[in-house]
Amino acid sequence: MISDIALHEWRRLRAGMMFWVLLAFGQLIIAWLGFAQLEAFAKIAPQLKAAGAAIGVTDLVLVPTLNTLVLILLLGAPLLAMGCMAGEVHSGRINLWLSSPVSGTQIVLGKTLGLWLANLPLVFSAGLTVAALGLGADIDWPRLLLGIAGLLLLSLWLASVALFISGLFDHPAAALATSYGILLFLWLLDSLSGSAAPWYWLALLPHVEPWFQGLMRSQDIVFFVATGGAAVLLGVYSIARRRGEV
Amino acid sequence: MKPVLLARHIGHGPVNRPRLSDFDLQLQPGDRLALLGVNGAGKSTLMQILAGVLAPTTGEVEIRGQRLDRGRPQLRRHIGFLPQRIPVYPELTVNENLAWAGRLRGLPGRQLRSAIEAALQQVQLGDHSRRLAGRLSAGMRQRLGLAQALIHAPDLLILDEPTAGLDPLQTEQIRDLIAGLPTKTSVVLATHLLDDVQRLCGRVILLEGGRKRAEHEVTPDIDLLGHFRQSAQAGTLETRS
Repeated sequence: MISDIALHEWRRLRAGMMFWVLLAFGQLIIAWLGFAQLEAFAKIAPQLKAAGAAIGVTDLVLVPTLNTLVLILLLGAPLLAMGCMAGEVHSGRINLWLSSPVSGTQIVLGKTLGLWLANLPLVFSAGLTVAALGLGADIDWPRLLLGIAGLLLLSLWLASVALFISGLFDHPAAALATSYGILLFLWLLDSLSGSAAPWYWLALLPHVEPWFQGLMRSQDIVFFVATGGAAVLLGVYSIARRRGEV
Repeated sequence: MKPVLLARHIGHGPVNRPRLSDFDLQLQPGDRLALLGVNGAGKSTLMQILAGVLAPTTGEVEIRGQRLDRGRPQLRRHIGFLPQRIPVYPELTVNENLAWAGRLRGLPGRQLRSAIEAALQQVQLGDHSRRLAGRLSAGMRQRLGLAQALIHAPDLLILDEPTAGLDPLQTEQIRDLIAGLPTKTSVVLATHLLDDVQRLCGRVILLEGGRKRAEHEVTPDIDLLGHFRQSAQAGTLETRS
C-alpha cells in the first residue's frame, strides 16, 4: 500500500502545473548559473594553471551549481508538499483517506516517498546538466556522485519535513509559509550562531556542504535520518490526532 | 444475524458542550436509515464517526461485530463513505479517481478494472471516464463521489447530504441511484430534504443539539415535517433552559 500511495502522489503531482513549472524553472536556473560559472572559470583557467592552483572545474563550477540546487530544492519542496496533507484537508479529500483501510504510517510513508519521487527529476536533470561538463572538462566524478547522493538524501529529508508541516495545517498557504519559515531558519542557523552553539547541530548547510567536498560523514547521515525520522513519526501522530485517536 | 453496524453510547466533543452525545444505533443488512436535523445538529460528526474518519470521544462503534478503532483499519473495507464535499482530484480523470479510490480500499489489480467498469455503469459516467474530474458538472461530480464510495461493494454506505446543492434533475438522478443500490447494502443517509427520507429510507432518526430526539418508521402517511418541527422545538427549549 505504501508504494501505491507513493505512486498516486507522484501521478497527482505530475498531473498538476506546479511540478512542471518547478522543474522548468529549476532547470533553467541551473543551466543559466552553470554556464555563467563556466564562463567565469574559462576566463581565469589559464591563470590558475600558471599558478599551479589545486582547484579546478569541480570546485568552481560544479559545487556552486549544486549549492544553487540546494536552494531550489528548499524553495520547491514546500510548494509541492503544501497540497499533500493541508491540500487534502482543505479540499475535503482527507475524508477519503481517513475512511479507507490504511494506517497513518502508510499514509505518511507513502506520501513522503511520492513527494521524494516528484523531487527526483529536478535532481537528476540538474545532475545531468553538470555531468555534461565532463564532455569538455576534467571533473571529479566520485565527488559529483557523492554530491548527488547528498542531494538525494536532502530531498528525502525535505519531503518528510515539508509533509509533516503540511499535516499541521488545514490550508496549503499556511503550510507553505510555515515550511519556508522553518527551512529558512535551519538554512541560516549556521551563520546566525557560532559552531560552538548547542543548536548548531540543527543547521542544515553544515550537513549538506561536506557531500559536495567529497566527504560522507556519519554525523550528516545521522542528522538526516534522525530529524527526517522524527518528522515521519510526528506526521503519523498528527494523523492520529486528526482521527481523534490520541 | 450480526448487525452490520452497532453504535453504543457514542459521543464527541468536550463534556460541557458535546457535538454528539449518548447516541445508540443498530443497523441490519439492507436497512435504510435517514438522519434528519437542522444545521449543527451533529449529523456530519455522527457520519464521520460511523465512517471511521473520527474516533468517538465516548462509546464504541462495531462493524460486523468487531470494534472499529485504530487497531483495525482493515474493517473500513466494509464501509463506503460519501462526505458532503466530494473527495475527488480535479487534476485526474474520472477513471483515475475511481482507480485510486478502489486501490485505497484495497482492491487488487484484477478486480479493480472490473470494479471501475461496474461503478461507471452504475452511476452512468461511462461516457465521461476520460474527462478530468475538475471539468464535471456538480451532478456528475456527485455521481463520481457515489461511484468512489461504491467501488468496493461495501456492506455499509454512509452518505452525507448526497443531494445538497443539486438542481431538481440531478437530485432525481442521485435518488434513483441510491434507490437502485443492492438490497443487501445498508445505507445511512444524512439529509435536510424530507423527500429524500420519504423516497429512500425505511427509518428516520431526528437529531437535535447532538442528541437523538426521536426515531420513526417511514410510512407513506408519516408527518415528517411535524416530527422535524417537534424535534427542533425540543432542542430549542432545552438550550434555553
